This record gives sequence, C-alpha cells and structure tokens, in this order.
Amino acid sequence: MLHQGGLLLKLVGGMTGRTWSVVTLAMLAGLVGIPALSWAQDATSVTTAYRDIPQLGGSRNIIWVIAQLHLLLAGFVLGVPIFAWVCEIVGWRSGDKRYDKLAKEFTKLLTSAYATTALFGGILLFFLIGLYPKLMGYLTDIFFPSFVVYCVLFLLETVTLYLYWYGWDAMQSGGMKRVHLFLGFLLNIFAFFIMIVPNSWATFQASPVVISEGSDIARAWAATWNPTWWPVNVHRLIANVVLGGFICGAYAGVRYLSVSTSEERDHYDWMGYVGNFIGVFGMLPLPFAGYWLMREVYQYNQQMGITLMGGFLSWLFILQAMLIGVLFLGANYYFWLGITYRIPGAEAKYKAPILTMLVILLLCLGVWMTPHSLVASLEEARKMGGTHHPLLGVFGVMSAKMTVANLMILVTFMSFIMYWRAGKQETATWAKVARAFMGGVLGVAAIIVIVLGVWGYFVPAIVRINYFSVAQVLIVLFVMLTITPLTAVLLKSARTTTEMVWGRMPPRAGYALVLNAVMVILLMTLMGYARSSSRVHWHIYGVMRDSSQYAYSPALGYAAAFMALNTFLFCLLVAFIFWVATMGDKGKAPTASGKGTLPHGAMPAMAGGSPEK
Amino acid sequence: MSEVVLLQLIGLAVVGTGIVILLFIRAQFVRVIGFVSIVLGLFALVALAVPQMASLPPAEEKFDIATVKTPTDMAAIGQKIFFSKGQCALCHSIGPSEAARCPDLRGIGAKLSREFIFESLTHPQAYIYLDYRHEGLPKEYPARMPYINKNPIGLTKNEILSVIAFLQQMSGEPISVSPSELEAPGQAPAAPVKSAESTPVAVAQAR
Repeated sequence: MLHQGGLLLKLVGGMTGRTWSVVTLAMLAGLVGIPALSWAQDATSVTTAYRDIPQLGGSRNIIWVIAQLHLLLAGFVLGVPIFAWVCEIVGWRSGDKRYDKLAKEFTKLLTSAYATTALFGGILLFFLIGLYPKLMGYLTDIFFPSFVVYCVLFLLETVTLYLYWYGWDAMQSGGMKRVHLFLGFLLNIFAFFIMIVPNSWATFQASPVVISEGSDIARAWAATWNPTWWPVNVHRLIANVVLGGFICGAYAGVRYLSVSTSEERDHYDWMGYVGNFIGVFGMLPLPFAGYWLMREVYQYNQQMGITLMGGFLSWLFILQAMLIGVLFLGANYYFWLGITYRIPGAEAKYKAPILTMLVILLLCLGVWMTPHSLVASLEEARKMGGTHHPLLGVFGVMSAKMTVANLMILVTFMSFIMYWRAGKQETATWAKVARAFMGGVLGVAAIIVIVLGVWGYFVPAIVRINYFSVAQVLIVLFVMLTITPLTAVLLKSARTTTEMVWGRMPPRAGYALVLNAVMVILLMTLMGYARSSSRVHWHIYGVMRDSSQYAYSPALGYAAAFMALNTFLFCLLVAFIFWVATMGDKGKAPTASGKGTLPHGAMPAMAGGSPEK
Repeated sequence: MSEVVLLQLIGLAVVGTGIVILLFIRAQFVRVIGFVSIVLGLFALVALAVPQMASLPPAEEKFDIATVKTPTDMAAIGQKIFFSKGQCALCHSIGPSEAARCPDLRGIGAKLSREFIFESLTHPQAYIYLDYRHEGLPKEYPARMPYINKNPIGLTKNEILSVIAFLQQMSGEPISVSPSELEAPGQAPAAPVKSAESTPVAVAQAR
C-alpha cells in the first residue's frame, strides 16, 4: 500500500506544473470535443418509448430499487469524505491521533464503497437506457454537455481519492500533512460537484426549464439552473453529512456490541460518540434546508406544492414526522445515556432536565404527528363538525408543526450543550454572566418561537410562510450560532471535575446508534418517493408525460414496503463494505490496534471531551 | 387477499422474525439484523395503517362530439374534468371553506361572463381577483392561478368549454356554451402547446 503510494507520489512529483497543465488541457479539449463530434451526426430517432421486464417486478420497481441503492451509496460516498476530512482536521489541530485514525479508517472504506456506488450507477444507467429509451434520449439531448463535465469530475475525483488514500501514511509529517489536507479538501470539492451535476438532471424532471433558443450549452445550462436545483443541492449536502455521521455511529454501535477487549470497547464507544455528534450537528440545520426546498417548490408550481403537502402525499408527512421524531428521540437518548454512563455522578444532577426535555420532545412529536384531517366515518365526521377534530385539528396545520419542529431542534441543541458541559466547571470570571445570558437567549427564543406559532393562526398564510416561519428559523439559528461559540470559549478555561469514562455504555446505546442510522436512511427513501411522486404522471413535469402502465404513484403502504426493502438492502451492502474493508485488519489485530501509541486518557477536542491532554 | 392485507402479513412476519432472533440468537450481528427488521417491519405496518391513496393519471375525457347533444351533456363532462384532470378542486371550493386556497366558485357562473371565465382560465394574470377576507389591504391568494390550457394541466378548448358549462349550470344559470362550438378532432386546440414528444425543445416553462 505504502509502495503504491510512493509510486504515485513519485509520478506526481516527476511531473512539472507545465506538464500537468498540458495534460489537463489536452484531456479537457478532448472531452469538450466529444459533443461536437456526436452532434455533427443526425440523431437517431427513438421509436421505442418503454421496455419492461415484468418477470422482475416491472420496469418501475427495478429502477426504484437500483436508483435508491445508488443514491444511498452515493450519499454515503459523498458524506464520508466530509466526515473523514473534518476528523482529520480535528486530529491535526488537536494533536489527538484518534481522530486521524478514525479519518483513515473511514477513508479506507471509500475505495470499496466508491467502486460499489459506481457499479450501481452503471447498472442504473444501463437499465434506464434499456427501459426508458425515449426519456433518456430526451434527457441526453438536453444534458449531454453536463454528461461530459460529469465524466471529467469523475476522473478528477478518482485521482484525488487514490492520492488521498494511498498517500495517507506518506503525507503525515510536516508540510506534507497540509498537502494531504488540501487533497482532502479537493476530494470534497470534486465530490460536491459530482453530486450537484446529477442533481440537475433529477431536479430538472421536477421543475424543468426548457428553452428553445441558444446553443446546446446554453440550453443545458438553463436546464441545469432550474428552480429546485440549489435547494436540493444544499439539502443533499447536509443530508449526506448526517448520513455519514450516523452510519459511522451505527458501525461503531455494532462493533461495540460485539468486541471483547476493553480497549476496543473504549474505541468504538468513542467512535459512536463522534458519529452521533456529527450526525446531530448536521441534522439541526437540515429542516431549514427542507423548508427552503418546499418554498421553492411552491414558488415554482403551486399544484406541485399542494400535491405534496395537501394532496395525496399529505399523509406521507405524518410518517416523516414520525421518523424525524424517532431520530430526535434516538439522538437525544444517546446523549442522555452518555451523560449517565460516561460521566460518573452526573445522573442525579441531570435527571430532572433530561426528564423535562423528554416530555417536551414527546409533546412536540405528538403535535407534529397530528394529521390535518382525520379519517372518519360519516357519523364521526358529523359529531366532530367536519373532518377536522375540534381540539386536535388545531395541531394539524403548518403553524403548529413549524413551531414544534423548531422547539425540538432547540431541545436537541440543549441536550448537546448539556453533554458538552457535563463534568466540567467553568473557571472564567464572567462564567456566571455568560450562563445567565445563554439561558436568557434560549428562553426568549423559545417564547418567541411559540408566540409566532400561535400568531400564525391569525394571519394570512402568505404572511406566515414569508415572515413568521422564516423568523422562527432565523431565531433558532441565532441561538445555535450564539451559544455554540460562547460555550466553546467558556469551556476553554474550564476545569474537569469528572473525567469522561469510555466503554461503559450499556448495549442499548449501540442499538440506539443503529436505530438513528436506519431512521436517516428511511427518511431519505421516504422523501425520494415524495419528490418523485410530486411529479405525478409526468417524467418531466409539464413537458414529457409518462404514458407507460406505471404512470401512477403507488399508495403509501406499498411504497413503504419498497422503502423498507431498499433500506435493508443498503444496510447489508454497507455491512458488506465494512466487512471487506476491515478484513485485512483482523490478521494484524494484535499489533494494529494503535491504542498503545495514543496519548493515554486523551479526550476528544470536540464537544464532550476534556481540553486537557 | 388484498395487496394491503398481504403487505401487512409480510410486515408482521418480518417483525416476528426480528423478535425471534432477538429472543433466541446470541450472535451480535444477527441480533442487529433482527433489530433492524423489527424497525423496518413496524415502519411498513404504520405506513399501511394510514389511508392508502394512489395517485392515478387523470382519465382522458373522450369527446365523441356526436354523443354530446345538449349543453347539459357538456356540463356533465365539465364536472368530471373539474374534479380530475383540471385539478380545479385542488385549490377552489364550491361553497365557503376556510381550507380553500383560492376563491370560492359557488355562483361564479352567474357573476362572470363565459368570455371572462375563458380568459381567467387561459390568461389567469390578466385580472387578479384579490382576497378581501382578511384584515388590512386586500391580498393575492396564496396559490397563483395556473394557465389551464398549458401543461401540466393542459385542457383542450373543448374541455375548457365543458368546465364553463359546468360552472354555469352549478350557478343556476342557463348554459351559454353550445355543443356546436366543440371542435372536431384534428382541429387546432385553444392554445397550442407542443409536447416534448414531438420535439425536445418545445415548451418554455421558465420561472
């Protein structure tokens, strides 16, 4: 491995900057020239609109499974480099080798995960061309220039990934570490662009912008920059971080449950903590990105927005609330277990706040899951005075749901802050003032969020959507952006009263981590179905109608069965990737734990750890 | 056995298998698979417990002009279009409703001329009807009226005339639309919109 890395480094080192430039330019020129060659020929007309393989469940179901697995793998492959790079930076800045080891452990997964993702991408492409030739012909006609860009990005990503992974050990010291970090940065930049290019194809199907004038590149660019492109880009970027974090947590949870030595238990307990931390950190702003996406959908096309939120998909959002609620509960539960088991003596101190937060979370979840209209018999509806329950109906509207979503984010944020501060005593002279300020900010923010939520019932929807909901989001963001740095500064000089003890978590902590990962994956599959179904009977909304026998959107129960199947298959694939990637470690396990080389008792520099070394 | 019942049985079987694994198997990885099975099975069962609504593509109302003899025939077809392909009921109510996002259409056929209704459907931004229900200045409704003769709704002229007939009938007005105005197949639609199936760059749907 080191040998290969050395070869590559020599190869890279042997090429001057000018050589690189020439090679790159030649490659780009060649690729840019490809479309010109193909466009010079007359396009062959596509006569077959659809093909089908009913023996395998039908074309739509085949594409559903493959596309979902490809997307989940892609989310994993794009989320893990962010996760690994952040860990590497933390390890580099803090000097804590465990972070570097963790980053390397996850980067190792990338090579096999990357190949699996590409494999599923290839299978998806072949099946799409075979089963939906007319649609693919149309999309190719519009997006061919971006196909070329995608290929170039793939090449760049692959080269960077190889350098990043195989150069890990060779680039550990001195300035080379900075080069390695820069490679990690490049890897994430290319990964980001690899994500947003296909996003443009998918979002184009939901919110197409088709122009008949201009060059092929101008048409492709107009189609790319469609109204939902950037909201989806931002939403997926954050979601990938969340996925990467929670999958790391789940992996650590599974390993934690099965390891036998105390050293391994310590390591995987700590890894679970880091994974959960990054997952929660990403999860907090995710609803805001989702809100932006829905706003853009409404602005693009009211019918589509109404189909999603008030039409046949409205019950889907009750399921979404359930999954997000369980995810919030799972993440908080893990924090609370951490406070109870990792910080001796903290249980009594934090029992009351934990109970309070649990009650608030459950109440919020109850409100979020209250449907707008109830399924009732004619007699029941008559008794209620309509399909809206006289009392619970109040909770079924967006004003209530936005309010409780923000409150749940605030509570989760407080759990995180509480965990961070547990076992430490602030020594700064201004600590008391800071604590009072933070408490005040949190209390006032919660009150304003509730007041705006109640007020939202008495104003036109447009005022609530444009001003009140946005204000609620900004207030919660303000709380996070104020309290996080303040706590960090406060804890810099804090004294550790109780050392954090790793490896003491009960087995249910491992299951909580697995549950969180499953919830995130299910959420991704659920919202993928929502996005796809919002197009109703259109391949490309308003432009190309789906005239196949599968032009309908299936009911939620049928769809949920597929979501569960896809989630299960993805979990198995990820488990396989982890197993393959760590197979080599088992042979050298006695010497490769690396624990002996770590500073004994070192605590993570992130939230929850001690700054002392 | 219906599809829902079958899926419920499968869901129960998956949950049951997960419980059995957790009860009797000690290998940790298999136990985690059992746990995941329980979670996924429960999720599917909850999803199967909510109302099961599939979204079917709108049925095409076939205009066999020979069978449309009277304006009432047209109104009957228009009523179907109003609640299906036209998607009118997605936003409009017939009778007062707080849940409606757009103006109540009860009596609209008596208030507006057929020409005005036709224009409202095909040039919805020509005149904006404001919402006077709320305090303060009158406002636009939260949902903007789409072009009914363009995709994704894309009603033909015949379909639009039928909807107008339905609105007039529903308002207790004499129907001023006549079957003789219906265009025979092959004639140009009200507002020609080329579909992507004929050419890939036909529709300008910019924001």
